[in-house]
Amino acid sequence: MSASPPLIAVEGVGKRYATSSGPIEALQDVSLSVGEGEFCTLIGPSGCGKSTLLGMLGGLTAPDRGRVLVEGRPVTGPDPRRVATVFQDPGLFPWRTALENVEFGLELQGVPAARRRAVATDLLGPLGLAGFAGKYPRELSGGMRQRVAIGRALAIDTKIVLMDEPFGALDEQTRLLMGEWLLEIWRRTKKTVIFVTHSLQEALVLSTRIAVMTARPGRIKSVLELGMGYPRPMESPELVALRAKLWHDIREESLRAMGGDQ
Amino acid sequence: MTVALVRLGLVAAVLLAWEVAGRAANPLLAVPPSATLPALRELLLLRSYPDLGASLLVTLREIATAYALAVAVGLAVGGTLGMNRLLGRAYGPMLAALYAVPAVVWYPSLMLFFGLDAASKIAFGFLLGFFPVTLAVLAGIRQVNPHLVTVAKSYGAGPLTVFGRVVLPATLFTLVGGLRTGLALSVIGVIVGEILGSKRGMGALINHAYGLLRTADYVALVLVTLALIVGTDVVAGLVERKARAWSE
Ligand SMILES: Nc1ncnc2c1ncn2[C@@H]1O[C@H](COP(=O)(O)OP(=O)(O)OP(=O)(O)O)[C@@H](O)[C@H]1O
Ligand SMILES: [Mg+2]
Repeated sequence: MSASPPLIAVEGVGKRYATSSGPIEALQDVSLSVGEGEFCTLIGPSGCGKSTLLGMLGGLTAPDRGRVLVEGRPVTGPDPRRVATVFQDPGLFPWRTALENVEFGLELQGVPAARRRAVATDLLGPLGLAGFAGKYPRELSGGMRQRVAIGRALAIDTKIVLMDEPFGALDEQTRLLMGEWLLEIWRRTKKTVIFVTHSLQEALVLSTRIAVMTARPGRIKSVLELGMGYPRPMESPELVALRAKLWHDIREESLRAMGGDQ
Repeated sequence: MTVALVRLGLVAAVLLAWEVAGRAANPLLAVPPSATLPALRELLLLRSYPDLGASLLVTLREIATAYALAVAVGLAVGGTLGMNRLLGRAYGPMLAALYAVPAVVWYPSLMLFFGLDAASKIAFGFLLGFFPVTLAVLAGIRQVNPHLVTVAKSYGAGPLTVFGRVVLPATLFTLVGGLRTGLALSVIGVIVGEILGSKRGMGALINHAYGLLRTADYVALVLVTLALIVGTDVVAGLVERKARAWSE
């Protein structure tokens, strides 16, 4: 155990939404800490509160109970100097070109036009969007849109990147390639990534740690540490064993979620 | 091409009916096109009303001022009501209800308050243009994708930045329609205001000709005013098409 506090600390967090059909307990007593440079994946059945938890880390949703700390300080609102989010729905601005979308965060931070143009242009290349800088979102494929959204988050160069199912809408091949690409960026920039996915394979190939969440109300069911290096061949006995354990935990919760026992 | 022909056909039919009816009626009260043309020529050559140019300028300036005010205040009020849930729910329906009141009922009090000069015309043009602009902003804001607002906030946008960088561009499509209606109504407001009582501007000339039963001159003046109105609307239509193409 190191003496310095973890980069991200979630302490006994609870969240309840009031809806027309009564309150929904989205999160209940969630605790998790993530150290600098980790690639931490949240996985769990649909509706278990993963997006809600990311929203709290990003300062967009306030917890009802408990607290969320980044670098030891409670999160009170969005802090684009430290945290960037890639949302489940890419949420590109349709009136901005791919390049202008990537520039958005820098623009709000008052970075001069020439500088932010250079930063955004440099990002488009590795995103495989070099020829699409001037295209509008409606002219891009789903995968390209998601990559533009990733570029927009990376452009503000934060220590922490929250990614909510960034590859959820992509076909499997693109998904694998995007995963490889993300891994490379993460290893090069040493950012801390909190990643949400429904794909076991994605979680196993990318993460340093996997937190499995329970069906609603979401809690942390189990945490898997993955000590091995990269790249990780899926056939390695180590990964096969981890996969079995992961599937066991997720299956249980998914069944509960589908059974609708609440 | 055929559309143009059909249009011309209607114009020709109306002119013909006007000519026939005009010839049959008392020449003091009704003027056929054949009698209007010479009057129109006299008018455009600045013989019958030498101050035509100055009057047109007065009217145009009033329209420009009224419309600029309507847009500025409409954006501010619509933006505030749209961005603030409580204010929007409290005042939005009131605005819509007021919009349904025939605005002419306000004009006498505007004249009392602002006098017979340009101010009362500008106030009336403003009043008419203000509602469609404000309501278009409100309607536009309601249909802005809330997710885009969330995204902007996550990048540090405050309420003003959200309005300028997300709401306005996302609203542009709805907004241009409201801006165009606002312009048409501002024009109507100014001209109706002038006709209801003024010393300068196209409305004053129209009143003068009408009062002296110079019916041919009167019709010629109305035609020039119509050209002015149609002209502003054509320009507004071009701008609207540009904006739509861009925001689509
Ligand atoms: N703004 C809201 N108002 C009311 N209920 C909400 C709101 N946001 C989320 N919920 C509810 O809270 C629960 C958790 O939602 P959340 O989006 O965090 O789940 P998730 O784990 O991200 O699901 P998915 O995997 O489908 O994206 C769900 O039951 C959802 O219906
Ligand atoms: Mg989600």
